[in-house]
Amino acid sequence: MFTSIFWFELRYQLRNPVFIVTSLVFFLLTFGSVTIDNIQIGSGGNIHVNSPIAIAQTVLIMTVFYMFASTAFVANVVVRDDESGFGPMVRSTRVTKFAYLLGRYAGAYTAAAVGFAAVPLAILIGAQMPWLDQETLGPTVLSHYLSIFVVFALPNILVTSAIFFAVACVSRSMMLSYVGVLVFLVLYFTLTGLAGDQPGLRDTVATIEPFGLGAFSDATRYWSAAESNNQVPPFEGALFWNRLIALCLSGIALGIAYWRYSFAENGVSARTLKKEQRRAAREAAEQPCLVDVLPAPNQKAAAWPRLLSRTRLEVNLIFTSPAFFVLILIGLLNSGGALWFANQLYGTPAVPMTFALLMPLFGSFGIIPIIIAIYFAGELVWRDRDRGMHEIIDATSLPNWAYFVPKVLAVAAVLIATLCIAALAAILVQLFRGYTAIELDKYVAWFILPYSVDMLMTAILAVFFQALSTSKYMGWGLMVVYLVASITLVSLGFEHPLYNFGDVGFVMVSDLNGADVGGEKSWWLRLYWGGICAILSVIAYLLWRRGVAVSLRAQLARVPARLVGAPALIALIGLGVSTTTGGWMFYQMNVLNEYVISDEQEEQLADYEKQFLQYENVKQPSTTHVQLDVDLYPHAGRALFKGSYTLINDTGAPVEELHVLFQDGYSDLTELDIPGGTLTLDEQEDYGYQIYALEPAMAPGETLEMRFAAERIHNGFSTRGEDTRLVKNGTFLNNAEFAPQLGFDRSALLQDRSTRRKYDLPTELRMPKLEDESARDRNYVGNVDWVMSDITVTTRADQTAIAPGKLVSEVIEGDRRVTHFKSSTPILGFFSIQSAEYAVTKRKHTGIDMAIYHHPAHGFNAERMLDAMAVSLDYFQENFGPYQFDYARVIEFPGYATFAQAFAGTVPYSERIGFIANTADEDDIDYVSYVTAHEYAHQYWAHQLISAYMQGGTMMVETMAQYSALMVMKEIYGEEQIRRFLKYELDAYLSSRGGEAIEELPLNRVENQGYIHYRKGAVVLYLLQDRLGEDRVNGMLAALLERFKFKSQPYASSTDLVAGFKSLARDDAEVRLVADLLENITLYDFAAFDARVAALDNGQYETTFTVTAAKLYADGEGEETDAVFDNLVDIGAFAKRPGYEVLEPVDVIAMRLEPLLSGEQMVSLVTAEKPAFVGVDPYSKFVDRDGDDNITAVEDAG
Amino acid sequence: MLSLTGVTHVYPNNTRALDGVSLEIPRGMYGLLGPNGAGKSTLMRSIATLQTPSSGSISFDGIDVVANPEDIRARLGYLPQDFGVYPRVTAYDMLEHMAVLKGIAGKSERKETVETLLNQVNLWKNRKQAIAGFSGGMRQRFGIAQALIGNPDLIITDEPTAGLDPEERNRFLNLLAEVGENVVVILSTHIVEDVADLCPNMAVLVGGTVQLKGAPADLIASTAGMIWEKTVPRADYGIYESQYQIISSRLMSGQSVIHILSDSDPGEGFKSVSGGLEDVYFTTLARTRSESAAA
Repeated sequence: MFTSIFWFELRYQLRNPVFIVTSLVFFLLTFGSVTIDNIQIGSGGNIHVNSPIAIAQTVLIMTVFYMFASTAFVANVVVRDDESGFGPMVRSTRVTKFAYLLGRYAGAYTAAAVGFAAVPLAILIGAQMPWLDQETLGPTVLSHYLSIFVVFALPNILVTSAIFFAVACVSRSMMLSYVGVLVFLVLYFTLTGLAGDQPGLRDTVATIEPFGLGAFSDATRYWSAAESNNQVPPFEGALFWNRLIALCLSGIALGIAYWRYSFAENGVSARTLKKEQRRAAREAAEQPCLVDVLPAPNQKAAAWPRLLSRTRLEVNLIFTSPAFFVLILIGLLNSGGALWFANQLYGTPAVPMTFALLMPLFGSFGIIPIIIAIYFAGELVWRDRDRGMHEIIDATSLPNWAYFVPKVLAVAAVLIATLCIAALAAILVQLFRGYTAIELDKYVAWFILPYSVDMLMTAILAVFFQALSTSKYMGWGLMVVYLVASITLVSLGFEHPLYNFGDVGFVMVSDLNGADVGGEKSWWLRLYWGGICAILSVIAYLLWRRGVAVSLRAQLARVPARLVGAPALIALIGLGVSTTTGGWMFYQMNVLNEYVISDEQEEQLADYEKQFLQYENVKQPSTTHVQLDVDLYPHAGRALFKGSYTLINDTGAPVEELHVLFQDGYSDLTELDIPGGTLTLDEQEDYGYQIYALEPAMAPGETLEMRFAAERIHNGFSTRGEDTRLVKNGTFLNNAEFAPQLGFDRSALLQDRSTRRKYDLPTELRMPKLEDESARDRNYVGNVDWVMSDITVTTRADQTAIAPGKLVSEVIEGDRRVTHFKSSTPILGFFSIQSAEYAVTKRKHTGIDMAIYHHPAHGFNAERMLDAMAVSLDYFQENFGPYQFDYARVIEFPGYATFAQAFAGTVPYSERIGFIANTADEDDIDYVSYVTAHEYAHQYWAHQLISAYMQGGTMMVETMAQYSALMVMKEIYGEEQIRRFLKYELDAYLSSRGGEAIEELPLNRVENQGYIHYRKGAVVLYLLQDRLGEDRVNGMLAALLERFKFKSQPYASSTDLVAGFKSLARDDAEVRLVADLLENITLYDFAAFDARVAALDNGQYETTFTVTAAKLYADGEGEETDAVFDNLVDIGAFAKRPGYEVLEPVDVIAMRLEPLLSGEQMVSLVTAEKPAFVGVDPYSKFVDRDGDDNITAVEDAG
Repeated sequence: MLSLTGVTHVYPNNTRALDGVSLEIPRGMYGLLGPNGAGKSTLMRSIATLQTPSSGSISFDGIDVVANPEDIRARLGYLPQDFGVYPRVTAYDMLEHMAVLKGIAGKSERKETVETLLNQVNLWKNRKQAIAGFSGGMRQRFGIAQALIGNPDLIITDEPTAGLDPEERNRFLNLLAEVGENVVVILSTHIVEDVADLCPNMAVLVGGTVQLKGAPADLIASTAGMIWEKTVPRADYGIYESQYQIISSRLMSGQSVIHILSDSDPGEGFKSVSGGLEDVYFTTLARTRSESAAA
């Protein structure tokens, strides 16, 4: 009995369209995440997209989404019979409750599990797609897929389906089951959110939470890339218990389902009965309105009622469909996370401003409307046929257009409603975050309006395919083929927007610059595709199947008759619109601009490297003076540049050639005047490279003045990305984008390893070795020189222009604002030019003019930035030496990029970081101050001392800026709270190690690897100043600065810094520490446990606890070897737990250094107060993969 | 009024569903009798513009149905053999929606149409119920209600009484008879009584061709003296079947009452009976079967 019911149920479920549709949806979602770069679920970096870790992450996350699907399967078991009226019949047979209920559940569960196989299958198939970067793929190991499916997918589907089966059994309602899913999700996120804050709860929650996400990430958190790529997480420990508990939970849920499910119908309450009776009485009293002759039809007047009535019917069908509800929930779930965490940095949330929320919304919600369009186009077009109503409907006098038009309108209306729901979700997030300045106009103009048009086009295409197909499934299939093809074609180099259906480009939005970048182009493309859609609509209308058994020939035979009149007119208008706009855009894109596909661009860069890398070491004269005249016409998309360089031959030998580099794709070099120079090699057109022979050669010490002119003119629309640098409001150009440079530069070269291999280039270009003293001739900032600058910028009168240098004058001449900046000391020869309508928040501090230039509505963190600037400049001047400028400016630029960059005294700062940080919560990391301090530290580390282009070069600049910023944070927040910064940096370092593509290097040999020079650097330098003394370290650094300040070659190297630290070491332990931290990759592991406190006779308390210490060395690949630990480590006693609660100085009861050795040892602390916690290295100053076990709670000695 | 000339339909799999069907159908009820698979539904759909016949012409009141389907649809009421409904939609709402589709533009006109028809087909008290929950008879009455929207002058009903209990069937046929006085009503059926009770004119369609047409009374008269009846034990049915051309048999008190076709008295206890339409129909079927067997 049980088995036959099981098999019946399984067959029933597998044949149910729900099964096919959910499998397809989950296949597509996963396939997309594997094969499209900008859709990502977990993983990244050096971890293969088909690595066991990535498979497991995707499978785990998908099981959360899959709840909606598996609930549909199992709840259907319960509600189906009641809905179809078969219930009483089935239940009156001799079938037992056990077989009836659990047999069916087992069948439905099996179907759900089979359906979920689409996810691993999609990874498996996706990983074979030819356009994927082979470097990101590992070998296909089927056993990984299988074991992950068994260990993660099956139990997860079991436990969730069992829980919602129980809900369905109790509630007997599909809707209530889904409400159950929602409640469950809310509880789940609350619980896991709570666990994030409560260290005591975290392990417990990781063990009991039903999806195993916590247990999985705990097991793999700090895995190296090699481990991630080759291992499935071992089925043991927390993971084992978690899975076991999931099984038990399933059993309990099924037990409840069995216990609570009753074969009897749920009775009707007396109240409903009464209501029902009243309604019946009311209905019975109503009299029909009778006529003797029925009214005659009026075909003409019926057009509007027909359109409205049909559209309403179709829309209702979608809105009342559970599939719609589920898809919306999935979309909201996905975008909810993206919206909640939008622009979060250092774990600190952002103020949820509309522009900043829309981008994550585009990305995370995008796929849902497409799935809705595909699915419901099929449902709508075939509905009458599926319901058996088509004969009646088709025999009515309903005109042919009244089939196609209402269906498109309905799909589009539902899609637009979907967009509104997404916008509403974003608004709710804003309100929930306490942000009440809701900008509906931006939601409409940047999201709902443009995306509605796109949705209408998607709807037309989906209905068009259905109209052409002979079955719903064929229509769906065609749409899926179209989706896959559009992705594939783009990656194969077919990138032109005029033949990729519905391609309107991607418009990035910004408060500063609105939707200006790409906005206009996107509307022209919409017009073009709108014309095409009109033609598609007419074709769909012409070929619409009416009646039964319609053959293609019969359809075609009807075409001429149906075409006459309005359809022909619409098709002609569509054709007219699309050919005119298409032709005009083609002229813009292919004639005025060049249509270059990304493969060609790559090939050009590869050729450039092959031809010109040989000139890398050709010595060029240095620049001593730079004069620039920049005329910006931001609204016209035009900028004109004129300039001159004064060069001096400081190479010690005659210079015979000048190598001039001008490579920006948006600017053109229009004039170049080199006295005595003859152009001997002109590759300006293709590679931006020119060689001038100097006649006579430039003698050592000789000077020369070269002049140039350039322009940057937006010339209509192009197929490539829009210029995000010269824009209407928020221009931010740097000199490499408009002025020639001297000598070869690596920055433009291809980086991606697989791309490099594709063009027969060495996989990577490494930096010169630390031992290569000749490398000290070049610095790492593009080898620019110390120059005196004189920059004049003109712009619109209503904009403010800023460039590095002291502001000499600012005058309005007519409708132009002319601003003149001049350096008073030599500065590094790289410059930013910015212009926008700014509000300015100013402060004068110790003779320095500090100013924040920002969007009028983005001023809420300006004072905080000024505070950070003031503390930074005070600290740096006191410890490192004088600040070389009398001004300090931070200038906001549109969020097309998210960074802050230090130019001389001038810091362009992205709209998307600091300006919108929400600093209200004191427990969050104040990265506004942190980043500001970091950028101003660069006024010393980069703008005074510049390091050589070689291994360890960035340590002198970035690590030192991080260190300086941490010291400023210590000034502002105190030592007790610095742990939050350190913990963030440490965690970022440890979790990035696995993503290393080449090899992890020790800090002193870092090759521009951010996770080492920023993250590890911060942790390591903090520990060094802690041990060697902040003042001593700063004294050493000040001396180093003094030595290299404003000096050219030989540039500073990390060896100088390491030597400085070694000179501070007072004993062997400190020497070892410096070497381990700076010259090795060293990992530590401390733990504290068994803490017992006893009251002493003198009223004090003695706390005794066990401490373990260990030290490991790692090589570049992450291979570890044990080493002996023998050094001093902090031990401390606390009233509150460090790291999770904000510590005030009073909470620190005791803190001292204790000599520790490898292995276990007892330590004790005598304190005046009774501590609640004790710990070893309690502030995580060492690189320790598990800092949580450094702290332990104190128990009374029994 | 409705005239069909040489209507032939061949399906892509070479099934010849209709083969040169020519009929003249006047106002009033017209019975189209035929066994399952005779091509009735194909013929009905062809007239209802749902299918285009491979060849032949259909015209109604001067309208070429094949060339101008739009014109005929405006005057057509069609009740297909089998139809489904949207879930959860009430009879009232569905009928109103159908009224919109059929071009009843004004709100008050729709109300009049819907309420008059619901009353006429005796579904007024069920108007707020979902059609999905209707019995077969109620559903067919709803079907005829929707076919009557807008006073069509051509009404096609395809097997409307199949599966109805006698009471429901009577109620349905009465309805049809009421409306069938001034317009063309085609009643396609395999049940002889439907035609016998209602239709002044009829045709028999077998194997895609018209085997017989005329007024039922004339047709019955044509078989006068040729139908012979005998009551035989059920067990002996086989013997009689082998000896006589049995055109019909029914059970009565556990015995078989058989009718055979014979020009002269077959003796053996057979009594001459005045045949009904049923005998005419079965005679035609029997003849077609023997012809196709001979062919």
